[in-house]
Amino acid sequence: MTQVASVAPVTRRVRAYFAPVNRSAGLPTLFDPAQLGRFPLDTPPAPWVDLGWVSGFTRKCVTKVDALRAGAPAATVGQVRSEIEATVALEFEVWGRLQATLASGSQQTNLLTTVTGAAPNGSGGVAAAPVPLLTGTGLASTATSLNVGTAAAAGFSVGSLVAVDVDYTGQLGYIGTGVSAAYVQSASAVGSDINYVRRVTLNVGVVAAIAAGTLQLASPLSAGVPAAGMQVSQLAGFCDREGASFFQEWSALFVMAGAQGDRILYHYPRLQAMQGSAEAAEALAVPLERVRLAAAFRALPVKDANDGESVLCFRSYLPAALRGI
Amino acid sequence: MQNAKDTFYTMLQGRLAILNPSRTRVLRGVVRPATLVDENELPTAWIPLDAFRLQWTRLQVTSASPLPLVEMECSIQYATDGSSGNGGMDRGRLLAAMDAELATALAAEPHTVAKMNYATAGAGVAPTAMGTNVFWADPVFGAASTVGERMERTATVQVFANQEAGEL
Repeated sequence: MTQVASVAPVTRRVRAYFAPVNRSAGLPTLFDPAQLGRFPLDTPPAPWVDLGWVSGFTRKCVTKVDALRAGAPAATVGQVRSEIEATVALEFEVWGRLQATLASGSQQTNLLTTVTGAAPNGSGGVAAAPVPLLTGTGLASTATSLNVGTAAAAGFSVGSLVAVDVDYTGQLGYIGTGVSAAYVQSASAVGSDINYVRRVTLNVGVVAAIAAGTLQLASPLSAGVPAAGMQVSQLAGFCDREGASFFQEWSALFVMAGAQGDRILYHYPRLQAMQGSAEAAEALAVPLERVRLAAAFRALPVKDANDGESVLCFRSYLPAALRGI
Repeated sequence: MQNAKDTFYTMLQGRLAILNPSRTRVLRGVVRPATLVDENELPTAWIPLDAFRLQWTRLQVTSASPLPLVEMECSIQYATDGSSGNGGMDRGRLLAAMDAELATALAAEPHTVAKMNYATAGAGVAPTAMGTNVFWADPVFGAASTVGERMERTATVQVFANQEAGEL
């Protein structure tokens, strides 16, 4: 085979991937395109999580470049970047827990099943007592199986949604196992609710089967094997709130697979939502509309370890084989 | 361009054959998957039923690139009378099955295939891989039409390829 000329990439759509930012330490998840850039799109390398296809992917550079002038009459003798800023807008094709949380831009709550007679509340009333994970009896729980015991398992059914996380016992700061899901300023602010961590956690799953007191999940919990002390709460769905104070932050990777085998990768180590929850409606046929989660994010900088540059986004291009460069 | 046409046809024939291995036709005495290119067959007034027939219609070449971009429209026609065992009353179902097979074949990943040169291929001789890929857009399904007891539909799909140096 001989080398052929390079052409402009042609792509059908954009795939998005999520990785958590360690908010307490201020550490994003960095993606190395030199090592991992050719990963199969359906199986991203850990800890990256597939968010599915997105549409309307729009990057905007808001960096300001000003002229430095000198002399009389003034002439431009140089340029300076006075401000760096970048934004990303997109629409998720999937209404998953993670996608909805990122699009909402704030803490999203799990609508935990309530106790009987709970007073009505916009993000769910007082939650029912959680179910503990058994230890020392039966098989140990894993990321895909939760040993709750035969008696407790009777309270679940195939299709049940579950949140798995630790009890709230007065923790302050960022909470949520695996992904920082919310920030607690004081125990009184959350009513010292034992279920508060499970109320906001992104460590959720769907029960696909129940056998011998164990809940089999359809997909692994994002935080992996449950830690000691974690409990299980059932939920009805998710809720985000316009006006909530928390800023969700995530590490993002967007991939455009070129038709010729080339690949463009956009890596934003730190993205924060720059708008409240919104939707984009696409008219299908009267009266049907398809509703996508619409999101917009502002990039925050990181230092490139190679030269200390302050960077908002890394755009990488991996040419197809035997292409001119 | 012929390489792109041959490559797309071979890809589609292969994918459709995997989806429904029993959809075959006897053509010139040989049992083949029921996907064919009209221009490659003997002219006939007879329309093969329960088969996918490809026709290459529109063509556009954009030369503002080191490798000119070729866009071809592939028209895929298929028709069914239903099965005789059911008195033809299953013709809608059989047309829907062909709709699903074609949609699935074209929607499957990847949406690209390496362009091959079949000019020198033959019995025991593999085609030659070229340096670029053939790729395509989503198909557009036309309205189903009914002629007597026959139901038929035409789907169109835009097929793209880069014309490589020296390629005709």
